[in-house]
Amino acid sequence: MIDALVRFSANHPALLWLLPLALLPLLTSAQRRVPVAALAAAPPDGPSRAISALLRVAGIVAIAGLILALAGPYRRGETLTRTGIGAQVSILIDRSGSMNETFAGRQPSGAEESKAAASRRLLAAFVGSRAHDQFAVTAFSTAPMLVIPMTDRHAAVRAAIAAIDRPGLDYTNIARGLAMALSQFGPASPATSRALLLVSDGAAVIDPRVQDTLRAAFTRLRPNLYWLFLRTKGSPSISDRPAGEDTPQAAPERHLDLFFKSLRTPYRAFEAEGAEAVAEAIAQIERLERDPIPYTEQRPRRDLAGFAYAASLVGLVVLVAAKLGEADLRRTRRSAAPVLAIASDPARHAA
Amino acid sequence: MTLPRLILRNLSDGRLRLLAGALVLVALALVARPLPFARDGVSVLAIVDITGSMNVRDYVDADGVPTSRLDTAKVALRDLVAGLPCGSRFALGLFTERRPFLLFTPIETCAGFAPIDGALAGIDWRMAWEGDSRISAGLFRSIAMAGELGTDLVFITDGQEAPPLPSRGGPAFEGRLGGVRGLIVGAGAPGLSPIPRYDDRGRETGFYGAGDVQQENRFGPPPADAAQREGYNPRNAPFGAAAASGTEHLSSVRESYLRTLAGETGLVYAPLDGPHGLSAPLRGAATPRPVPGRLDPRPVLGAAALLLLLAAFLTPLLRARGFPTWKKA
Repeated sequence: MIDALVRFSANHPALLWLLPLALLPLLTSAQRRVPVAALAAAPPDGPSRAISALLRVAGIVAIAGLILALAGPYRRGETLTRTGIGAQVSILIDRSGSMNETFAGRQPSGAEESKAAASRRLLAAFVGSRAHDQFAVTAFSTAPMLVIPMTDRHAAVRAAIAAIDRPGLDYTNIARGLAMALSQFGPASPATSRALLLVSDGAAVIDPRVQDTLRAAFTRLRPNLYWLFLRTKGSPSISDRPAGEDTPQAAPERHLDLFFKSLRTPYRAFEAEGAEAVAEAIAQIERLERDPIPYTEQRPRRDLAGFAYAASLVGLVVLVAAKLGEADLRRTRRSAAPVLAIASDPARHAA
Repeated sequence: MTLPRLILRNLSDGRLRLLAGALVLVALALVARPLPFARDGVSVLAIVDITGSMNVRDYVDADGVPTSRLDTAKVALRDLVAGLPCGSRFALGLFTERRPFLLFTPIETCAGFAPIDGALAGIDWRMAWEGDSRISAGLFRSIAMAGELGTDLVFITDGQEAPPLPSRGGPAFEGRLGGVRGLIVGAGAPGLSPIPRYDDRGRETGFYGAGDVQQENRFGPPPADAAQREGYNPRNAPFGAAAASGTEHLSSVRESYLRTLAGETGLVYAPLDGPHGLSAPLRGAATPRPVPGRLDPRPVLGAAALLLLLAAFLTPLLRARGFPTWKKA
């Protein structure tokens, strides 16, 4: 009951201070004053008193209704939590300069599409294909950049993805990017399915000191990890062993893959050498991420001014009807017409 | 007197007319629907300078705590976005080195307020990818970016070029004067303040000293007055023999420089006076873009009805106190 009351509110609560004006009908009346020689001459009349009370109430309702309506009453909207199918997806996008080249490692010319443009097109289709997915977007080059925090506003996410095929920056500092992308998950129920989608065309050495921090974060959040590796033709694959020494410096892609595999969280790498392969990888991720997710639904606030206007209208109709039916005792007596019963309270007006 | 005649006579009653007027107005309010009309919204790209000098704490927040220029700029942008009429669009980018970096293309400001707010809160100087601060180059590219996106521009900076501009001045603006409208917002106080310094783990370790930064740009030809300098030699010491000295390690808002840039590019200069007040200058400088608005006519109808109704009840009181009303006798 109290909960229900708390949800009522007004746009201009200050106007409610005018409410005492609604007591005006107790002091005065809109009806005509009719002089009567002696009040005691008229017997007490039940219907007259009832009409008098009705008119006062009608006046109070009309004035109070209008004041309430002007204050703009409404019942607050509420946020309902429901369960749908979807996932929290944290997208981590490489914005290093090489993303603006084609899959063949050239500057795009004519109808060719750069890696960034291809991922932009395909990711934009991924976002919004399911209503209850939540997305966060993080970009990284030399430094990680928080682009959009975890949100269910898909238009905003698409706006962030629309910006990824602009000229990129310098280097690929993947460790800090991963740390920020993980921090985007934030608090959520443990049942929520989380996915981290890394889109990059290269890798970098992860500092051993940072590796432990990342490992701890992965263990705590347990996201499903997807690495969409946009491989340039001719460059080493994730699984290629380098000819010489097998160090992270010599083959950063392979060692990043090994690091991801050592995390003990569900992990899949997709090596894409063209736009079709990217599309296929995204479709696979979409199929894999099918878990219940709690999502919030906003129930909009409800405007109650209409009810106040309606109440005021009822009061006004009564007042106007009473005014139309007013009879003047002096003149009616002269014309010898039947006295209409709908007179205002004669007792009061004679007093 | 018959009923119709009675009603006819009552119709000439002033208070009846007041009540009937109120009745009609309230009835109209009940059926009235919001009127569509066009409001002036804006579509704006905000580029925030995240270079080192924006960490200078020369603002004071509401609690009296010194606040950095960057934090003040973030709060001011949030305030700006919250005050824009629904249907306005907002895009965000960062500036460091010599170019802007677009975080997202324009988003509608009402439906997208939560993500915009989160993105603004997330802006950090640690996002900078390089340390230089070539304001004019960044500004010109931001103008080009706003032109591409079809938006106006809000460029927030303190105007401190690092390294300092050479004696012949910065690059010239090659775009169309006034092709993009908007604001250059000068962040910072007019007095010099020390610039905080951070180590490679991002922890504050003190302030920049005079020897830590480049005080004079010695690329390109020397300035005209170099011949008067101590130890000048046209071949071996074209900038004089003394080490450059100056106040480049301290920072203030370079208002005159920013005003010059504004004049060159057709933007309007506005100082950032605190966490509020970007809205009015932007509305003055930006291209008005019609966004659909709705006007609820009910308060006007309701207020008029209330006045009529109160008049109907007050006239007997007023008349009793000798105030003139419409009644002749």
